[in-house]
Amino acid sequence: MHIRDGILGPEVCVAAAVVSACAVAYSLRRLRVDLEDRAVPLTGMMAAIVFAAQMVNFPLLGLPVSGHLLGGVLAAVMLGPWAGCLAISLVLIVQAVLFSDGGLLSLGANVFNMGVVGAWGGHAVYAALRRCLGTSVTATVSSAAVAAWLSVLAAAALFCFEFGLSSHASGFDPSGVFTLMVVYHALIGIGEALITGAVLAFVLSRRADLIPAPTPLPAVRAVGQFGTAGLVAALAVAALLAPFKSELPDGLDAVSQQLGFASLETERPPLLLDDYAIPLPVEGWWSVSLAGMLGTAVVFVGAVLLARAVRWNTTPLTLADNTDV
Amino acid sequence: MSDSCSPDAGATASDTSLCHGLPADAKLFLTLLVVVVSGLIPLEHWPAQGLLLVAVFMALSLAGVTVRYLARRLALFLPALFVFGLSIPVASAEGLAWNWALSLWLRCTVSFLAGLWLIHVLPLRELLSVLRRWHCPVVLIAMIGFMYRYVFILWDELRRLRSARDARDFGGASTWREWTISAQLIGLLLLRAMERAERTHRAMLARGWDGSIRSLDDDR
Repeated sequence: MHIRDGILGPEVCVAAAVVSACAVAYSLRRLRVDLEDRAVPLTGMMAAIVFAAQMVNFPLLGLPVSGHLLGGVLAAVMLGPWAGCLAISLVLIVQAVLFSDGGLLSLGANVFNMGVVGAWGGHAVYAALRRCLGTSVTATVSSAAVAAWLSVLAAAALFCFEFGLSSHASGFDPSGVFTLMVVYHALIGIGEALITGAVLAFVLSRRADLIPAPTPLPAVRAVGQFGTAGLVAALAVAALLAPFKSELPDGLDAVSQQLGFASLETERPPLLLDDYAIPLPVEGWWSVSLAGMLGTAVVFVGAVLLARAVRWNTTPLTLADNTDV
Repeated sequence: MSDSCSPDAGATASDTSLCHGLPADAKLFLTLLVVVVSGLIPLEHWPAQGLLLVAVFMALSLAGVTVRYLARRLALFLPALFVFGLSIPVASAEGLAWNWALSLWLRCTVSFLAGLWLIHVLPLRELLSVLRRWHCPVVLIAMIGFMYRYVFILWDELRRLRSARDARDFGGASTWREWTISAQLIGLLLLRAMERAERTHRAMLARGWDGSIRSLDDDR
């Protein structure tokens, strides 16, 4: 997930760094209002938790490699979007500067993809879903799992966009790379959703008070939250559909006709990064949103089922609280 | 800290070499300069990229980085980079694809080695004071310091939890079981760490913490 230096062009990195710096500054301001004097210890500790949790390896079935938690949505669910964004940014800064994991110049792009979109966007999806579903354990866990999957895919989509911008300048067409990236990250996202859901289910079974219930929002902010959530979902699903669209046009056409989307097809649904114009052109916007909603619904059903499965498995606890050696 | 789950913690202040003597601002600035220049060198000027690579190698040897350390880091870094670069010519049959992949490998290696040099010569304390001088928000710097302090404590905690787990499951868990147990491990770590953060916060309040940061580095 970490973008190395040299993969993106310097101009793209600088642009992303400016945007990220503004987002981090805004998060800092909101955080000092929300958490007051608890901001430093809680956010610092959350960053340390995410950093340490990334060291826990999850074996992949039959493969010699293993995956790990990314943690953006987990941090945002526990402490809210502002602290979540800051915690992920801190992890990325320390990993880049002290452990040489991820680039220095591409730090801005990393913070934007994972911290800003991962935590802000992921939290918007989580909060919007939870607002609709209520506060039961299943609702909380499945909302967070959906948010985790979508945030990973949205980050991959953004990386493709940034990589496209960088390589466009040197006259190279990397659209084939995107297919690999997006398919790969759709799988990583499933792992992230599983881990986030399972960890949250565990925390809920022990200290449900640590996870705040959604508070009533003023209308403007509620609309903004739903808008952000929709944007993240659309970005993620557009990224997922774009490679299939470009590789298998006939298959997708057939499916869309079967499902009655033929009228939308005539508008030519935009491919994300089609010709490095604006990624989401206005005339095709509705088809992407619709696809986003459909895809999210499918993921959501899967997540509810998973949330139930996870809950069954965590009830007979095998790890006692006092496992200190 | 010889455990496999904790990477080496970068520079220590006691190292003495030509590179360690540079001002901290210059270290960070030089590294960023190398990364930017290597990103800006176009495809057809690859000899310049090679020269940059040689220069970074010289800087690394001047800083006293051992070949063994370098080889260990590169052994972790190069395969992943190789696979990513290889996906470009595999995915598109264009003639430019191989050139693009090769220049990507070169650029990334130069930047990675420059980053290694930086972590070897710049301890965290110096980095934080550079960030202060560069007008980074003080709260952010305090958070970085706090996080760095607690990462090692949590690593130790994680190691204890892990050895407790390994002592109990006899290493024969199925993949699904291992996933749920690992998730519980993270959940337990999270609960303990949050409780620790609350305790720390109360201790800070008891010592007069009011949310503002003061540092002895202010006059430096």
